Amino acid sequence: MSRGVLLIASNNEQIDYIKQAVFCAKQIKAHLGLDVCLATDNVKYLETAYPFYKSYIDQIVELEYYNTSQIKTYHDGIYAQKKLPWKNHYRVKCYNLTPYEETIVMDTDFIVNNDVLLNCFDYNEDFLIYKSYKDLNPNRVEHSFEKVSDRSIDMVWATVFYFKKSKLSEFYFDLVNHIYDNWSYYRLIYQIPNVNFRNDYAFSIAIHILNGFQRADWPKNLPGNFWTTTDADILYEYKDTSMKFLLENTQDRGQFYAGKILDGNVHVMNKFSLNRIIDEVLVNE
Amino acid sequence: MNRGFCIFAQNNETTDYVTQAYALALSIKHFCPGEKVCLITNDNIPQKQQQAFDDIVDIPWEDQSKDSDWKIENRWKIYHASPYDRTIVMDSDMLVLSDIRHWWQELEKRKLFYVSNVKTYRDEQVTSDFYRKTFTANNLPNLYAGIHYFEKSDEAKKFYTLLEIVVNNWELFYTEFANKRYQKWCSIDICSAIVCKILDLETEITQPDSFITFTHMKPHLQKWQQVPEKWTKVIGTYLQNDGTMMLGNFIQKNVLHYVEDEFLTDRIIKKLEQL
Repeated sequence: MSRGVLLIASNNEQIDYIKQAVFCAKQIKAHLGLDVCLATDNVKYLETAYPFYKSYIDQIVELEYYNTSQIKTYHDGIYAQKKLPWKNHYRVKCYNLTPYEETIVMDTDFIVNNDVLLNCFDYNEDFLIYKSYKDLNPNRVEHSFEKVSDRSIDMVWATVFYFKKSKLSEFYFDLVNHIYDNWSYYRLIYQIPNVNFRNDYAFSIAIHILNGFQRADWPKNLPGNFWTTTDADILYEYKDTSMKFLLENTQDRGQFYAGKILDGNVHVMNKFSLNRIIDEVLVNE
Repeated sequence: MNRGFCIFAQNNETTDYVTQAYALALSIKHFCPGEKVCLITNDNIPQKQQQAFDDIVDIPWEDQSKDSDWKIENRWKIYHASPYDRTIVMDSDMLVLSDIRHWWQELEKRKLFYVSNVKTYRDEQVTSDFYRKTFTANNLPNLYAGIHYFEKSDEAKKFYTLLEIVVNNWELFYTEFANKRYQKWCSIDICSAIVCKILDLETEITQPDSFITFTHMKPHLQKWQQVPEKWTKVIGTYLQNDGTMMLGNFIQKNVLHYVEDEFLTDRIIKKLEQL
């Protein structure tokens, strides 16, 4: 049975997701040793900007380029922010995009620093996803990470998930696509104030529906801890498997705590600081 | 031994508890066919509503709650009024929303049982003591009389005999057992907890991880960041033709303690009648 990691990258004017994907693939190769497939709408850019990509990326799936009207505010720490297009729509198509029978789908801003995700191939489950998270900043309480909305359902993290090609997985992703196609309806039903389509929410809603509109154990958690930071935090150093962050002080705006994690897989939401670090790491490629 | 559900109802100026009991009886009859339901009341019951009950029993002895709005002073009499050997007591502002007949098998192990864990409408364990500061401050057993069970027995009779004394002298017992965060009214939950504490029965009459529980809709229990005055203002209620009920995004199972009187609309009653 073929196994691999699917990454999806569509750049906007300021954020180079393709660069993130190359770095993410490099980490995957180092720690998971799996095949990597990149689905992108700008293959030419990949080939010209990162000619060494073939060391880390095994397969390319070319996506059709599209413009989006969806705008998201991207923060770079507390004070800097930019409103930029947010192309997150191809994630719902992953069932058909992947060339593998067993796939780990990963956001390009998820940094792999250990091999714990390999255990998901031993679970004998059709679908695994993180249902809980660990904030690297222990002083922060982020209620929006718990629920899709205050009165609504538990949130799962579409940042990383595993699926096996199967009837159940196909049905699940069909439902996710249906939610995507009817997002205005679903965001109303689930009391989601933001108009933007968000994969975390669509995946959570689909799970809730498949569980018969009740809390249930399905799906199981992906193995390992899902560490996250927000875009109010700043990644300032990456060396081997050690990551150092400035973590926002929520009690004293503009102040930070120093935080360090060793050997942990981390979701780095601050894309600007991540890309600055990647520039340093890839400089000798 | 015969068995059945008992609902205690005494209308006051603002709330028609008898109609609530009627709706509860309809829901029990639909989801738990074959189960008997008894209404204990002194109020007039419309002819149509009477048909939902297998037994209608007067409140024994004199009415001790004439001057009370909440009318819980008579609640200790349920033990004596129940026509059943084994009784599940439910608050009138509840609905049964799935088959709970398997509860009887579990309850067979005990002479008396009180719920001590309740759920949110999202099926989360309630952890807040927002409405139970007196329990926490005085280290009282966290009993909910909203659903409890007894088998006519020496053990249960002893409990209810003491409950009568505590209810009738609640200020005295509160001073002794619940003097911190003192509550200035008689609560059947607190009185039951005091009896439980005096008789040292906590491990025998309740089980915090029991599947015998109910969904408690008081707003501060719902794990919301923005807590409304009434839950009915912020999430929708959807009752389908087969009796399936959704609150917000969640199908409800077991027993719903809806708390707010306005929840029970004529439309919901009509749907329950059509089940």
